[in-house]
Amino acid sequence: MKHSKGRGAFIAVCVLPAVILFVIFMLIPTVNVFQMSLYKWGGYSNNKEFVGLRNFMILFQDDKFYRAFQNSILLIVLVTIFTLTFALIFAAVLSREKIKGQNFFRIAFYIPNILSVVVISAIFSAIYDPGNGLLNSILAIFRGKDASPILWLGDQKIVIYSLIIAMIWQAIGYYMVMYLASMSGIPESLYESANLEGAGKIRQFFEITLPLIWTNIRITLTFFIISSINMSFLLVKAMTNGGPDGATEVFLSYMYGQAYTNSSYGYGMAIGVVVFLFSFGLSALVNLATRRETLEF
Amino acid sequence: MKRKLISTLLCVTMAACMMTACTGKGEKQDNAANEKTSAAESTNGTETNTPEEVTGEKQILKVAALEGGYGGEMWEEIAKAFEEIHPEVKVELTVDKKIEDVISPAMKAGDYPDVVHCATGREAGLTETLTKEKGLLALTDVMDMRIPGEEQIVKDKILPGFLDTLGTNPYNDGVTYYAPMFYSPCGLFYNAGLLKEKGWSVPATWDEMWELGDKAKAEGISLFTYPTPGYFDAFLFAALESSGGVELFNKAMTYEDGIWETPEATAVFELIGKLADYTEPTTVANANNDNFTKNQQLILDNKAIFCPNGTWLPGEMADAPKSDGFEWGFTAVPAVAADAKPSSYTFFEQMWIPAEAKNQEMAKEFAAFMYSDKAAGIFANANAVQPIKGVSDSLNAENQLYYTIYDGDAAVAVMGGFAATTPVEGVSMTDSLFNKVNSVMSGDVTVEEWQSGVEATSDLLREAME
Repeated sequence: MKHSKGRGAFIAVCVLPAVILFVIFMLIPTVNVFQMSLYKWGGYSNNKEFVGLRNFMILFQDDKFYRAFQNSILLIVLVTIFTLTFALIFAAVLSREKIKGQNFFRIAFYIPNILSVVVISAIFSAIYDPGNGLLNSILAIFRGKDASPILWLGDQKIVIYSLIIAMIWQAIGYYMVMYLASMSGIPESLYESANLEGAGKIRQFFEITLPLIWTNIRITLTFFIISSINMSFLLVKAMTNGGPDGATEVFLSYMYGQAYTNSSYGYGMAIGVVVFLFSFGLSALVNLATRRETLEF
Repeated sequence: MKRKLISTLLCVTMAACMMTACTGKGEKQDNAANEKTSAAESTNGTETNTPEEVTGEKQILKVAALEGGYGGEMWEEIAKAFEEIHPEVKVELTVDKKIEDVISPAMKAGDYPDVVHCATGREAGLTETLTKEKGLLALTDVMDMRIPGEEQIVKDKILPGFLDTLGTNPYNDGVTYYAPMFYSPCGLFYNAGLLKEKGWSVPATWDEMWELGDKAKAEGISLFTYPTPGYFDAFLFAALESSGGVELFNKAMTYEDGIWETPEATAVFELIGKLADYTEPTTVANANNDNFTKNQQLILDNKAIFCPNGTWLPGEMADAPKSDGFEWGFTAVPAVAADAKPSSYTFFEQMWIPAEAKNQEMAKEFAAFMYSDKAAGIFANANAVQPIKGVSDSLNAENQLYYTIYDGDAAVAVMGGFAATTPVEGVSMTDSLFNKVNSVMSGDVTVEEWQSGVEATSDLLREAME
């Protein structure tokens, strides 16, 4: 009894610093966000006015917010689907096949991930340039020189997809490395026996590789949701600033615009609350939907 | 027992480590402070970031200034000049390109600067937020003060008109809250060399403008481009003035009911709708923070003729490649109404004192000092021009081109901006009036939709005005 009491105290002392930091830097600010979303407040003065759920009521009638919401969901869905697919294919090829320059490809795919967002936005601004950008120049071969240029960042129907492409390009390397790591842990013997049984490469991928890295994929799905929300803000801020006319507004860029530029800090926090609940809920949902019996080797 | 001893020992070591880490940091800070102190003492007060305890009885005045296009050095000179006439004061200067990010965390904690130089219309919206929150000190008495070291009263020295606008009296109640600082006329920039070469003259009316547009189109040159839709503030305000006079402009700025649907305002909306046909087709794609210089480059490359901008443009594009024979030209926005004069919006930056500032009296003294000959000279050296009588005479030839735009009654000066309201969630004129221009240009929104959207926003903001 005495022994376990001492042990408990020891554990308590050990985790205390982490708990204190967690409370100060995570718990209190989160509670603050929830609390401030109930006030009409500009962010500076002492005249905070308690308005209850009014901010949320305005929010649910705000067309611009719905537009940002739609854009964010489109982004999360498309970026996740494409990045996941490409990263899995590249990882499978690089871990299972013997190809020349394997290490070169690993590095080349990973490089976009270590570039800062500002650099990425500059690269893609150059690619999307309507006059002499890479994309329009290549397309001019097929469309003829006199065709009017495609405005990748100017056409409101296209611009969000232009951002999505940049985000996928940026994210593939990171997830590829994660999948590579878990794929390399799968014992070679499983593939050998599958070969003997006559299973083809594609069958092996779906029957062996995918089930065995399932836990890993589930974790990355949560990452996709969180990082899409965060990355899209950075990219939008650097590249289009929500324009043209709100066509690329996403969750956090709209929140920033309202909290600071439009002096409605409380309203911005209400958006923050919705984003928080949404990403929390979506992650939980994805987690639930992808629950499988864990396979071990 | 042995195990317990080890665990206790570990705990003690960890605690000890934490303690030493903490004290170590503290000592370091103290040392740093001491070093700074001695440095400050030895240089006899030239150090600007001096800790409070050092100066003893010296009063500390915290000045925060935006490092804009004119650079940050001039503020150091200003601080020194102010300390010369007020030896008992120590100016603690904070100058930064993103001054809002530097000072606002401390402001949220209740630690306010005494004087702030930061204009309206910036993305972080600090000035607007404090205005909307009633966090500014009235400066009407500063305008009646004697300028430190001089005989004149502040308001007698300021150019006429500058103190009568919403740009200085944001609540439209005759009380000055912003001190007008560096001003710059906005208008249309063009390549004078191109017009000379083609034998085209600068259009004085919009009819001539469209004529020139058709002529230029035949040669593959567009009439118009714009950096970002945000630049339409100056353009639209000037056009509103020449369409319905200063009365229309002021009513629009104070959200009068139905003002955006009057025939005069409609003429302005339709003008921009027509301008869409003459705008360089790739403009919208580059009208963002990352690429707006590409739109400005269109002027230098002779791909477009006119671009609305302010006097900082030549400086911004100084190192950009230019076509042969390039020469900056600058003109006011042609009049919308047939019998009106061309007009030009005057952009000016503002200085203000937070209501929570601790040294308000000295802050007012500092604000008044900004209009002394000494201060104006320091600013003018950095090409920052204040609205003080006679200052523009001391400018170099290139800058005079811009500041003489109003001379001889050639153009009407338009000043001010939208009146401050309490914040309305999700609604802003920037979105409804300016950012929508991109959609009008690309044809996603019709002029009528744009116009009714602006009127709806105006209705909402009017209700929020007090």
